[in-house]
Amino acid sequence: MSETTTTVRSIGDSTDTGASDVQQMSMQQALNRALDEVLAENPKTVIFGEDCGRLGGVFRITDGLQAKHGEERVFDTPLAESGILGMSVGLAMAGFHPIPEVQFDGFAYPAINQIVCQIARMNYRSRGTLPMPITLRVPSFGGIRAPEHHGESLEALFAHVPGLKVVSPSNPHDAYHLLKYAATRPDPVIFMEPKSRYWQKGPVDVAHAAHGQATHDAGVDDGGSLTGARVVRDGRHLTLVAWGAMVSRCLQVAELAAEDGIDVEVLDLRWLKPIDAEALARSVGKTRRAVVVHEAPLTSGLGAEVAQLITQSCFETLKAPVERITGFDVPYPSGDLEDEYIPNIDRILFGIQRVLEYRRG
Amino acid sequence: MAEISFPLPDLGEGLIEATVLDWLVEPGQQVERNQPIVELETTKSALELPSPQAGKVVRIHGAPGDTINVGEPLIVFEVPDDTAGIVGTVPKDEAPKRRVRLSAVLDED
Repeated sequence: MSETTTTVRSIGDSTDTGASDVQQMSMQQALNRALDEVLAENPKTVIFGEDCGRLGGVFRITDGLQAKHGEERVFDTPLAESGILGMSVGLAMAGFHPIPEVQFDGFAYPAINQIVCQIARMNYRSRGTLPMPITLRVPSFGGIRAPEHHGESLEALFAHVPGLKVVSPSNPHDAYHLLKYAATRPDPVIFMEPKSRYWQKGPVDVAHAAHGQATHDAGVDDGGSLTGARVVRDGRHLTLVAWGAMVSRCLQVAELAAEDGIDVEVLDLRWLKPIDAEALARSVGKTRRAVVVHEAPLTSGLGAEVAQLITQSCFETLKAPVERITGFDVPYPSGDLEDEYIPNIDRILFGIQRVLEYRRG
Repeated sequence: MAEISFPLPDLGEGLIEATVLDWLVEPGQQVERNQPIVELETTKSALELPSPQAGKVVRIHGAPGDTINVGEPLIVFEVPDDTAGIVGTVPKDEAPKRRVRLSAVLDED
């Protein structure tokens, strides 16, 4: 990802005087608009899934798209995830660019065979003659008081599979640009939408992918700012690494830590495969302390991978072992208990405190 | 605001259509969940259909005497954009609360 990390910048880092087109919209609206534009720009794009067509999706992400683009390009499928993804394989082999939806994270399990054994491998198997330009949208993570199978974090499962890319936006701006970017990739991308953030509004600059401004060089491909991690808050003492819905929580924690004189940097990883190791090295190389936060269970979660990447690049200067604040090693609980499961502010602050207190030897 | 269309459900076992007898609501009206919205007649019975949700009525389909097929639009509601999906609830944006305070001596070597 070496070409990707030079344009990382923060919200508000604005020197732009040019043609920004900033609009307030929710992540729902941003995703809907992105899909609408992808359909208009690429006649090979097809969108389908359970309730994606006439209803417009249970979260209204595909709202209005069937009426506008027709039943042959936006359509409903049976309740059969292996069929949804199997059909995606066939469509991709025939030259289409499918954007299937698995209605909820936990419904991806019946489709794992198609995802792992077909979608991820077809390009390898065919020596590059059958690429799989599939963007699989998965409303993901918890936080909406939903029943079982509706609050799971599958990033480590997907990230472990060679041939898949995995990305999760934390805000409407990134949702819009990352989805449009993913939909133009020749490789399969698992697009994990943080469903608890669907309704949160934020500024979206539809003209420029880099946050808060046009790139300094108008000729730069905006894709450069879309393939790596992003520093969403600068800090000196410690780096919080997060993705999806945990980014906004970490920003809250950073504000609270500032009250105690601790200056926390927040790194939104965005891409969970491949991980932007250079951004991790740069951030933790500066702060020398790191806490990784994710909703998924602890054991073999992506936090372990992040901790290893940090250790690899920053071992000599780290002040303390990388801490992980995560969900627990239990099935995702029902809605009443999810506040106890998802890393909350106090658990993250405890993690920060443990890192701050650590002394060698 | 978003629109949600409610199609005529199968009101019996394998019924394919129903006839509108009388609408009990009109466009522009705010309705509550389970409030009767329309009187329908099928080949089996006449009945009042309760509203599947709260919202403002945008459109109604079919005048009294018209027949509507199962699955065709019956009524369209307008709902706020932040209405949750079919599953779950919209999380409240609450001010962050804390009990833990940080205390650290930062040796800036």
